Amino acid sequence: MKHPFLSLIIFALALPLAAQDGLEINKIFKGEVVNEKAMKESLVKGDNLAPYKLRVLHTAKFTVGDSRRDEVEALFEEDMKGRLSEDDENLELEYRDGHLYYAIVQLTDTRKGQHRYICYQCRKTTGGHGITLVYMEGKASLCDLRNTFKKK
Amino acid sequence: MNEDINDLLARYMEGETTQEEQRLIAEYLRQTDPLPYEMKPYKQMFDLIGERPEVPTAKALEHFAKGQDPSKPPLKGEASFAARFSPFKGELERVLVRRVLLLAAACIAAFAFILLMPQKADENLAIAYIDGKELADQTLAMQMGQEALTEIFSNGNQEQQLTELFNEP
Repeated sequence: MKHPFLSLIIFALALPLAAQDGLEINKIFKGEVVNEKAMKESLVKGDNLAPYKLRVLHTAKFTVGDSRRDEVEALFEEDMKGRLSEDDENLELEYRDGHLYYAIVQLTDTRKGQHRYICYQCRKTTGGHGITLVYMEGKASLCDLRNTFKKK
Repeated sequence: MNEDINDLLARYMEGETTQEEQRLIAEYLRQTDPLPYEMKPYKQMFDLIGERPEVPTAKALEHFAKGQDPSKPPLKGEASFAARFSPFKGELERVLVRRVLLLAAACIAAFAFILLMPQKADENLAIAYIDGKELADQTLAMQMGQEALTEIFSNGNQEQQLTELFNEP
């Protein structure tokens, strides 16, 4: 290793590039599961999210067939293993016809005071299954998020 | 004796004498007085050889490599200190120490970088990707994010729920 400085700095720079790194659903956000062209994706970080007490919001929406739905579902379920607890406060889960239909999961924090959430929703559409996938990170509690985003 | 010494000297010049024979030649040249004229160049040569510094023994070299003075018993801590500055090991040690220091400095720099990076990560960023195209449209990205969250926390928008309800077989 001729340039340890350079290598470590590159490593350090690469760390925060994807906040949801280490999660299986990152493969979906990276376009490894569903073609990027078939996805509507948004990535917001920083001050824009301050009103919601969030610092990272990554969303993806796409429509897929049965096999891809199963793949996405499996990846999400794998990440669900890292959930904070089984309490209703930290977890909302619904299965229909043996498939994950809706989920809001609080994961264990990787940074103190920064909560992490993954959300999944799968609806039947004319073209297959419309999936919405969300990764969030910030100080907001699940209760805060429900109050902010739940339609009255 | 003269014949013997002549024979020994001839063998010495051919490099065939043993150490013992060389000692005998040296002793003869040192002790014989008067020395025959033809032997004088050999005496001069042996005198010169006798003046050369003593070749260190293997044990002395070993002590030297360890940085110890063979004439003194090593004191506690002295051996390692001396070894560290031994001329044989010095260069290697310096290179190693320099590399370790460089690596340590690199680690410190990297950790400092990592600690500072959260602020970088929090820098404002709003990107939307539609049809594989990156759109640096803050409003659009925020709108898409909010819509997704509203949809999730309302457990599906009403339009979708109604569609599903009426499409149920």
